[in-house]
Amino acid sequence: MATITFKNVVKTYEDGVTVIPDLNLEIKDKEFIILVGPSGCGKSTTLRMIAGLEEVSKGELYIGDRLVNKVAPKDRDIAMVFQSYALYPHMTVYKNMAFGLTLRKVPKKVIDEKVRAAAKILDIEKYLNRKPKALSGGQRQRVALGRAMVRDPAVFLLDEPLSNLDAKLRTEMRSQITKLHQRLQTTFVYVTHDQTEAMTMADRIVVMKDGIINQVDTPQELYNHPCNVFVAGFIGSPQMNFLEGRLKKDEKGYFVKIGYSIIRLPERMKPSAYEEERVILGIRPEDLNLDKNNGDSIEVKVELAEMMGSEIYVYSTFEGKKIIARIDSSEKIENGENIRLTLDTQKLHIFNAQTEELICD
Amino acid sequence: MKKTKISSILTPPILTVLAVLFVIPILLVFINSFKSKFYIIGTPFELPDKETFVGLSNYIKGLSTSGFFEAFLRSVFITVGSVILIVICTSMTAWYITRVKTVFTKMLYYLFVFSMVVPFQMVMYTMTFTVTSLNLDNPVGIIFVYLGFGAGLSVFMLSGFVKSVPNEIEEAAMIDGCTPLQTFFRVVFPILKPTAITVAILNAMWIWNDYLLPYLILGTGQKTVPVAIQISMQGAYGSVDWGGFMAMLVLAIIPIIVFYLSSQKYIIKGVVAGAVKG
Ligand SMILES: Nc1ncnc2c1ncn2[C@@H]1O[C@H](COP(=O)(O)OP(=O)(O)OP(=O)(O)O)[C@@H](O)[C@H]1O
Ligand SMILES: [Mg+2]
Repeated sequence: MATITFKNVVKTYEDGVTVIPDLNLEIKDKEFIILVGPSGCGKSTTLRMIAGLEEVSKGELYIGDRLVNKVAPKDRDIAMVFQSYALYPHMTVYKNMAFGLTLRKVPKKVIDEKVRAAAKILDIEKYLNRKPKALSGGQRQRVALGRAMVRDPAVFLLDEPLSNLDAKLRTEMRSQITKLHQRLQTTFVYVTHDQTEAMTMADRIVVMKDGIINQVDTPQELYNHPCNVFVAGFIGSPQMNFLEGRLKKDEKGYFVKIGYSIIRLPERMKPSAYEEERVILGIRPEDLNLDKNNGDSIEVKVELAEMMGSEIYVYSTFEGKKIIARIDSSEKIENGENIRLTLDTQKLHIFNAQTEELICD
Repeated sequence: MKKTKISSILTPPILTVLAVLFVIPILLVFINSFKSKFYIIGTPFELPDKETFVGLSNYIKGLSTSGFFEAFLRSVFITVGSVILIVICTSMTAWYITRVKTVFTKMLYYLFVFSMVVPFQMVMYTMTFTVTSLNLDNPVGIIFVYLGFGAGLSVFMLSGFVKSVPNEIEEAAMIDGCTPLQTFFRVVFPILKPTAITVAILNAMWIWNDYLLPYLILGTGQKTVPVAIQISMQGAYGSVDWGGFMAMLVLAIIPIIVFYLSSQKYIIKGVVAGAVKG
């Protein structure tokens, strides 16, 4: 029901620190958008500006077509779920959920219907008469979601709503929130620093660093075509391997020289402008495989082979640099041995070593 | 380990002795209030028997002593009025100066804290003069004076508790549609309730028992209970009706004890809440 548009938004806190230097972002109607980034990069600040809890220092913020810079939180038609849940401790679950509607003078009967409907969806009907302190973390979380739901807001804001839950519950709530989004058909803005959450739930992910948006894209695009070293390293676990070297060219085509080894680039890559420049070569751990036919491969020394069940994480060194590979768990790999790995060169990413921007992938 | 054991053995008897010491005077007053006035001075420690027991006649006498009943009502009015005003005003103040962080609110906070250590006698005369010239020297006016004297401790205690209330709850209320006033009365104040009740009890006790301030401001024309008791103790030409006097004392003690007992569980809650959450 609402788009959200940031136009050259600047946020400077009272102490004079500019947290968001210049934010431009368009969030589509009914989109599930997730803001990720390292701690302190301004995700919560961005979300709180949408909520109206923080003032926009400069620039324009629109919800729908309405400029909301000066609109009070209660008039923005938004609902927010906080990391600490922020339930009203002196009210029962029912009252907690009904509070927003009561303040808006919605008829009692309508409130009752909405609260019960939400409670049913979230499976908290049994607890409607309890106070929040008599609930478990997961139940509180659902009450917080319910409180936002009953309001039928145009925008749903969630600030790390799952970070206080244990791993199993988090997985469960993840799918519940996704379902909720499909059912409610409203715009969701979700903040997290958990990339699994981002990858599994988002329509689009916004990767931020130091208040600057690095890339906005679908999870798949973000994973396969990161626009710079930061995004490439931030998304994916274990992290993408980065190897710095010099780009060279011979009669067979382009290659990167790393130490005494060379890695040939696939034919389609022709970064001619960067010949003889330093570049960073990025490759994801799953694109490294054991070389069985003595083909084009690199030799690495295994430091630690970690059995994860379905696969083995091989932590090794190559030309003095750390490199991680994910290898089928049926292989036998000993710590300390030398193995040869092939690179899936189709999946290579080449970054400019100075600007750390993508050259080609 | 051993140390805690010794203290846990010694603590109950010591506390028992202390409790008895505190209760004895009250008990004596209570016992003697049922005895005929001729036996009170001579045998204060004896329980009333057939000869000395006079039933409720002391109480009837006490209440009919000139102006005591009126003084009682006046004290109730002043105490209740002051406590309500103190709780409402200081909790809002505490909320404001904790949430709005400016140099001004910080100074205000220290001013409140500082006012706790100023002895009453130091401001007694200037205060009385000011109050009189402002026409506050009546039972309604004195409520505002009590607000001033009660504010220091109350603001101090309440702001300690407000700090422990997560800001996000108030933000949630704002998003849910509360105006600042609604945020305070529907969300913040209910959360503050235990501390607010503690503050109410502490203030009620000293205001009810206060002698000097009403004496200075209201004089003997508009007596409060402590003033009335003091005056009747002076008696006419040294002849004090000890029976009526004891009854008056009991009547003066009862309201505060009832109030304390009925809200005791909140006092403990409030003090603990403050202690644990800092
Ligand atoms: N009220 C404030 N006054 C001054 N600086 C603030 C304030 N709130 C946040 N900041 C600063 O703004 C920056 C961004 O904070 P923000 O809370 O948006 O980070 P975040 O991305 O949500 O981090 P996290 O993942 O840790 O929650 C931080 O450096 C923080 O110190
Ligand atoms: Mg945050």
